[in-house]
Amino acid sequence: MVVPLNTWVLISSFKLAYNLLRRPDGTFNRHLAEFLDRKVPANLNPVDGVFSFDVLIDRATGLLCRIYRPATAEEPEPNIVELEKPVVGDVVPVIIFFHGGSFAHSSANSAIYDTLCRRLVGICKAVVVSVNYRRAPENRYPCAYDDGWTAFKWVNSRSWLQSRKDSKVHIYLAGDSSGGNIAHHVAAQAVESGIDVLGNILLNPMFGGQERTESEKRLDGKYFVTLRDRDWYWRAFLPEGENRDHPACNPFGPNGRSLEGIKFPKSLVVVAGLDLIQDWQLAYVEGLRKAGKEVKLLYMEQATIGFYLLPNNNHFHTVMDEISEFVSSDC
Amino acid sequence: MVLYDSATLGGSCSGSSSSSSSSKPPPLQQRQQTQQDIDGLLAGAGYRVRSSELRKVAQRLERLETAMVNSPADLSQLASDTIHYNPSDLASWVDSLLSEFTQPPTCPSEFIMDPETNQTVVSDAWTTAEPHMPQVHQNISYEQQSLNNQLTVDNQLTVVTAMEEDSGIRLVHMLMTCAECVQRGDFSLATSCLEDMQGLLTRVNTVCGIGKVAGHFIDALSRRIFQGIGGGSINGGSAYENEILYHHFYEACPYLKFAHFTANQAILEAFDGHDCVHVVDFNLMHGLQWPALIQALALRPGGPPLLRLTGIGPPSPDGRDSLREIGLRLAELARSVNVRFAFRGVAASRLEDVKPWMLQVNPKESVAVNSIMQLHRLLGSDLNRNSPIETVLSWIRSLNPKIMTVVEQEANHNQPGFLDRFTEALHYYSTMFDSLEACTVQPNKGLAEIYIQREIANVVSCEGSARVERHEPLSKWRTRLSGAGFRPLHLGSNAYKQASMLLTLFSAEGYSVEENDGCLTLGWHS
Repeated sequence: MVVPLNTWVLISSFKLAYNLLRRPDGTFNRHLAEFLDRKVPANLNPVDGVFSFDVLIDRATGLLCRIYRPATAEEPEPNIVELEKPVVGDVVPVIIFFHGGSFAHSSANSAIYDTLCRRLVGICKAVVVSVNYRRAPENRYPCAYDDGWTAFKWVNSRSWLQSRKDSKVHIYLAGDSSGGNIAHHVAAQAVESGIDVLGNILLNPMFGGQERTESEKRLDGKYFVTLRDRDWYWRAFLPEGENRDHPACNPFGPNGRSLEGIKFPKSLVVVAGLDLIQDWQLAYVEGLRKAGKEVKLLYMEQATIGFYLLPNNNHFHTVMDEISEFVSSDC
Repeated sequence: MVLYDSATLGGSCSGSSSSSSSSKPPPLQQRQQTQQDIDGLLAGAGYRVRSSELRKVAQRLERLETAMVNSPADLSQLASDTIHYNPSDLASWVDSLLSEFTQPPTCPSEFIMDPETNQTVVSDAWTTAEPHMPQVHQNISYEQQSLNNQLTVDNQLTVVTAMEEDSGIRLVHMLMTCAECVQRGDFSLATSCLEDMQGLLTRVNTVCGIGKVAGHFIDALSRRIFQGIGGGSINGGSAYENEILYHHFYEACPYLKFAHFTANQAILEAFDGHDCVHVVDFNLMHGLQWPALIQALALRPGGPPLLRLTGIGPPSPDGRDSLREIGLRLAELARSVNVRFAFRGVAASRLEDVKPWMLQVNPKESVAVNSIMQLHRLLGSDLNRNSPIETVLSWIRSLNPKIMTVVEQEANHNQPGFLDRFTEALHYYSTMFDSLEACTVQPNKGLAEIYIQREIANVVSCEGSARVERHEPLSKWRTRLSGAGFRPLHLGSNAYKQASMLLTLFSAEGYSVEENDGCLTLGWHS
């Protein structure tokens, strides 16, 4: 089982930094976190055919999104007026992306996520909206979900994002790690409000539960992640006093709710075979199946967490191809 | 998160030193080679690591892991007290953390390196790590340093306003059209554009947002078209007026406070251990930066040094010696906190008129050169002689300062093409105005706005020697300063944290500090 050297260096540095940021008393060294996080600005100049800009969508909470659009042949260099020009196409997928970081780390302008979102634009011929949701422990459940929902409503109400075919915004929800978790909950809220979501893309989504599963015991500390840090992040995100069977963490657990009879979107769930929380991710997939929801599981046996951050392995390319197909099958 | 827009003021710390008197920039070839060896994928993630060093970095990471596992007490100290620098330089960062540990690691590691391929082999079996002593890596030398602390306003062409108003969008369209006409020399079309815009302005909210800044740009264009590019009344504002406006800008938003604060931090650190120190301020104004430094020096362990301050400023036309007045006030403050202090004023209408002998630098003293938004004024080239910036940087270098702190707007307002400059300025200043709005209401925010408005007018309606607001991006300053023989010194996580905390005191909504390759930037989302 090998990991490319640069991937190993990248994930290990994250691990190292994160160890410094989580304090045993449950607080988080936010200043150091922001100092260490590598960020990139938005860029109106297209790079590899994609340009980006930031929008403040809720002044009250300071909720920002970064929007990524493909540069068109006619307007190769957009200016201030072109940003919200209507999308061109019968069907234009809009992917609302929630970055990972176990609810505590990273931002929409983190370099790794900026890169990932730019790739998604190219792969899916989509507009990508990356949500800068509020993070734990300063902002616990349900802040991240609230922000996700706010962003969802905002996207859904943008006339310039509507596809020509039906004058509706064709929305997909996507996210990795905690972002995957958020995507699930926002989708649930959307269908409850009667708004269509065309699909969910969950990359190594962060789920858990009170019980210790076999994969957790087997893989604890083996591939960058420990049970202890998983516990820390749940304790930081979930309401104080709640345990990991809270439905935010364990949506199909003892306090969860079946999605039977609910028009939940189709899901693409990617699970890394070396991720210690895979039993929970597989349980999630099972939960969807039992409720009769369409779900495709991509189990990448040799993959570790974060494999999708650098395009230097087969899992990466497999997953990107699957995502592309998942989104394009909408046409 | 900080999403910074075109009006962000960055505090960056870059400076350089070299002990030899003739310092040459590194040969271009060498630099290129180094660049080529950088791992491209990690670069995309914000980390600069040479491919040839990857394995070494990985090994160090492993050692660090084991060291941390071995001594949790050290871990918590590492987490709280250690100052981190320039995380993009992963190798140095890891080394600096390793040097915090004194015990060689003895625990086995989970990953071993496969020497054949450049891959780590994940192993379930325990292996013994090779015994070694952690490398002590000093990457800051305290001899002969010049620190360039640069506050830059980051202009990355990001626009944030999602404009709801059609009129606002139309106004921007027309501004661009008008600017394009001006660039082409089609002044009659430009004039009719102006008229249309002035009409449209009456229908747009000019109290805030695009309407406010558009008005200023329309004025500037009008000035350019009708009064020509000589500047005239913009640059003719009296020194007294300029000081008032500057003071209000200082009060109204955090940019200058952040600039002063970060520069003072760097100066304080540079002066550590020195008993005779001399600060040269390129633009004294009301001396707002210095009370904090004087007080900090008063409180430093071991007692304050003898502090000399040389303040450069324009001559006062009415016989007042305003420089001396400021100096006297600062002297009084210094006396009240028992800091031996001496002040000297150097009156000069232009920085390039200052000669180093006027500063009377004593070879025994430790010198800090502090330039707040002055260097860009030297970028206009004089066809007859050396560019003023080179001359000035060269004599600064000849003073052998311990540190040099530079504040500049990070913007690209010195491009030769008018339309490009205009577009950049439109982005930059509209966000600057928005960010001003976000600050707690000051009684005279209007004067701060006039301060900014004057900059706009200069960028848009002046040319040649009249155009002094020649802002250039951080990357250009980095190159220029290192070409002049300065070496960057990095601002670390302690400065970052203090700057962040200070921001909260300013009740300024939406501002935040970021680290960027050893530099700190102050940004504002919009």
